[in-house]
Amino acid sequence: MIWQIDLSVLSIVVICAFATIMVKDLLSAAIIFGAYSFLMCLLWTEMGAVDVAFTEASVGAGVSTILFIAAAYQTTRIVKARRRGRLASKIIGLGAAVIMGLVLLAAEANFPGFADPNSPASLHVSPYYITQTLADTAVPNMVTSVLADYRGFDTMFETAVIFTAGLAVIAILRRVKRSDRCDLPEPFTISTGYEDTIIRFVSRQLVPFMQLFALYVVAHGHHSPGGGFQGGVILGASFILLAITYDIKMVQQRMSEKWNILLGNIGVLIYAGIGFLCLLLGANFLDYSVLSNILPATDKIMARSHGMLGIEIGVAIAVMAIVISIYLNLSSHGKLDEGL
Amino acid sequence: MEYLISHYNYWIYILLMMVGLYAMLAKNNLIKKVIGMSIFQTAIIVFYVSTGAKRDASIPIIAHGHGHDSAHAVIDIMHYANPLPHVLMLTAIVVSVGTLGVALAICLGIHRRYKTLEEDEIQEQLQ
Amino acid sequence: MNGVVILLVVSGLIFFLATTVGLLRFPDFYSRMHAAGKGDTLSSLLMLGGLALYEFHEINIATILVGAKILLIVVFIFMASPTATHAITDAGFESGVKPWQKETTEEKSP
Repeated sequence: MIWQIDLSVLSIVVICAFATIMVKDLLSAAIIFGAYSFLMCLLWTEMGAVDVAFTEASVGAGVSTILFIAAAYQTTRIVKARRRGRLASKIIGLGAAVIMGLVLLAAEANFPGFADPNSPASLHVSPYYITQTLADTAVPNMVTSVLADYRGFDTMFETAVIFTAGLAVIAILRRVKRSDRCDLPEPFTISTGYEDTIIRFVSRQLVPFMQLFALYVVAHGHHSPGGGFQGGVILGASFILLAITYDIKMVQQRMSEKWNILLGNIGVLIYAGIGFLCLLLGANFLDYSVLSNILPATDKIMARSHGMLGIEIGVAIAVMAIVISIYLNLSSHGKLDEGL
Repeated sequence: MEYLISHYNYWIYILLMMVGLYAMLAKNNLIKKVIGMSIFQTAIIVFYVSTGAKRDASIPIIAHGHGHDSAHAVIDIMHYANPLPHVLMLTAIVVSVGTLGVALAICLGIHRRYKTLEEDEIQEQLQ
Repeated sequence: MNGVVILLVVSGLIFFLATTVGLLRFPDFYSRMHAAGKGDTLSSLLMLGGLALYEFHEINIATILVGAKILLIVVFIFMASPTATHAITDAGFESGVKPWQKETTEEKSP
């Protein structure tokens, strides 16, 4: 928490934010947005939020950038200037932003100081989480224990939201029959089908290490920054790497669309299923301590730790399937035959 | 000077939020508006995470958390950053990428129907 | 040991500075990719090697694991970063970016 480093990184972040919205080329805007996300990760690591920084590095800087590039590939690349109403839109935008900013600044005067240890946010419930997480759940990573055990309902609905987002993208974009596809516009560059040996070989060599690392991140989430979301996104990113360096047909031979959607379902089912299992065994929904009755050689505290591992696995499977599905649909405009 | 050091970060977060808001209102291209939405979301996330930071505090993972006697050791809350905003913002980041996917899918659908992504041309075609 | 660590990290920083200056000052796409690809990889490897060496101050299982993980990152950056540079340069060549030609003075004189 050194305020000099904080201030310098924040000023570069502001410059990146201004640059992202001002450039005229959408690919450049996507790349600068990736740099903005990575600088945010640096900021959060410096503030001590390592789990959040890990998630933003994998999700925000990795997957968001490639989703922007896939969307720009299917539509226009150069931003055109507005033809009429140019001044009016700028005045309205600037006026609304300035008024909102002044309102927020007036409210900000009462906020606690930056990095104050006695701020009210740190004084009510969170001391219980910090002091009791080892005694209740035997998991040293406080963020994982709060995410998966103390606030497990939030995480279950968040997994459902991710699943619904994947369904929404399929519902908007997916066209299966050939007769629906005749009015699709052409992408802005036609890929020449050029195959490159070096890129294909190296990416094929890297994919098993990425997947092994993703499984490590899921399994080690109790003791180090990590957990289900980060591992699931890295697993999905390994398939996206294959889709970029080869083509979509190769990914479909390895992970067909039917199995992809099934895996997304199975992920959410594992999460809710563990909750229902706790209900069937006689306790509340998502109360993992009764799992000690069916798991061999565990007491109530270790049963909570194992229950957390089970739902993290469910989250990882669901997030992987949805990330792959969103990318494949965006980069091929729903056709799933050739893409980025 | 003390006030400046303890409050400068809120001013920069408000500046970032207003950059995102301006991009959502005034930019012509739909994907630029989606980028503005993402900037707004990350600015709000950094605001929440900064409320959990503590001076001279470490990351929210209990060191030496193995062994049988670790559950009885005294844990000082001033040594660890507040984990609660981190948990809420983990959910927010993952939901924001889902929202980004759906927003870009809607942009692709609009481009398919109107053959353009500029707001004024779409409004001309709507009339 | 500390001296070697400081030497590695500082030389990594010097190479990063050289990469940035080259990225801004070279006249042409291909020479900028030279600066970015080679300088970036080398400086990352030097700094991470310095950090991994710093972990070996005391030898027990925890520091060996952390040092081994940092060295694994070094291996993967060594594999992936030059490939990424090759991919960008290849994309530039396929799109028809022409190399920079030095202007000769014979055309300027009458």
